[in-house]
Amino acid sequence: MTITEEHFKKIVDKLVLLKDTSELMIDLAYSSLLLNSQALAEEVADLENHMDNLHTDFELLVLSSGFTPKESKDFLGLIRLGVVTEKIADAAMEIADVVLRGLEPHPILRLVIEEAEETVTKVTVSETSTLVGKTIREAQLQEETGMWVLVIRRGNLWLRPRPDTDIRSGDILIAAGYAEGEEDFESLAAGTKERSNEES
Amino acid sequence: MAESSKIEYRPISVREALTEMKDVSEIMIDLAYSAALFNSHELAEEVMELEKRVDYLDYIIDMNIMLAARDAEDAEHLTAVTTVATATNKISDAAADIAAIVLKDIGIHPIVRKAFEQVEERLARAIVKPDSILVNKKLGKLELAAKIGVDVIAIRRKREWIIDPEDKEKILEGDVLIARGAPHGIDELKAIASGKLKKME
Repeated sequence: MTITEEHFKKIVDKLVLLKDTSELMIDLAYSSLLLNSQALAEEVADLENHMDNLHTDFELLVLSSGFTPKESKDFLGLIRLGVVTEKIADAAMEIADVVLRGLEPHPILRLVIEEAEETVTKVTVSETSTLVGKTIREAQLQEETGMWVLVIRRGNLWLRPRPDTDIRSGDILIAAGYAEGEEDFESLAAGTKERSNEES
Repeated sequence: MAESSKIEYRPISVREALTEMKDVSEIMIDLAYSAALFNSHELAEEVMELEKRVDYLDYIIDMNIMLAARDAEDAEHLTAVTTVATATNKISDAAADIAAIVLKDIGIHPIVRKAFEQVEERLARAIVKPDSILVNKKLGKLELAAKIGVDVIAIRRKREWIIDPEDKEKILEGDVLIARGAPHGIDELKAIASGKLKKME
């Protein structure tokens, strides 16, 4: 029996999603610790639930490939890769749990995650925002507000921002950065403010 | 782990050890996926080497933390640190699991290759031979990033690991360089390290 190309594509897409999601969770988990941010830690917990579903979907897809006994070893490798992403997600959850349990993170932890993050914010992109239709690169958020996007939540999807990821109306952006930029960032997403230095 | 040996207590900075664990576990994940992508036993072996290092660090952190707690309140604060160290160790275990898939020849379906083709950069290992022009040169002086577009992210020197080596780090004969870069740059680095290529373009 031959496995259709379409079925292959589905498996590949799911695997990439599992890998990206697990790595995103690690980033968010360390950030939640650094900022002692419940909001970010909860995001990790949401992603953990999401991961469980993705992983099940992935396993079902692989198992329904209709492979021959000779091919089964190749597919075992795939199943194992899926398990690994799940394991990484679990580890991220354990890190986020430190924050969720309300333990004040030990100062050592802040020193370990040496990044210049000060604050984290979560905003919904409104229809009238100038960000709509722009890619992350074009939006120049970091340059203009000092905040950078950690994750884009689009309906049931969590996207890891890449320079060419587009921003859509209704997206929830979770960003970290300097406290001074928070207000600018929020009003840009809400569409209540034009870019202050668009022409300058 | 096949062999276990007794680990001697060493007073070290927990901060340094945990920072190293975090950096190493991230490199391990990248290396492990690269190993799976290229079905590379050599990269998978490096992941296993790094795994030993992380296990060691985790153990040392545990010992130091236990000695650091003076009272119950202290212990509670410090629990957060060991939890993070343990979680970081788990991430490295996950990377080792990927490496094991490669080393045990379970095989990864060719479609995995497709899945990771989007990644343009790749990781590779280059062993520095005695007659390589790299021997006794400082990393910064070589300007590998500018000249051939590769970045040395770690050096293994016998059993010791240098993660994120500094510019002043001197490359020695026998060093194992773990580098990241575009495929042609990686090939060039391998040729230079092996002594086959005597000049950088």
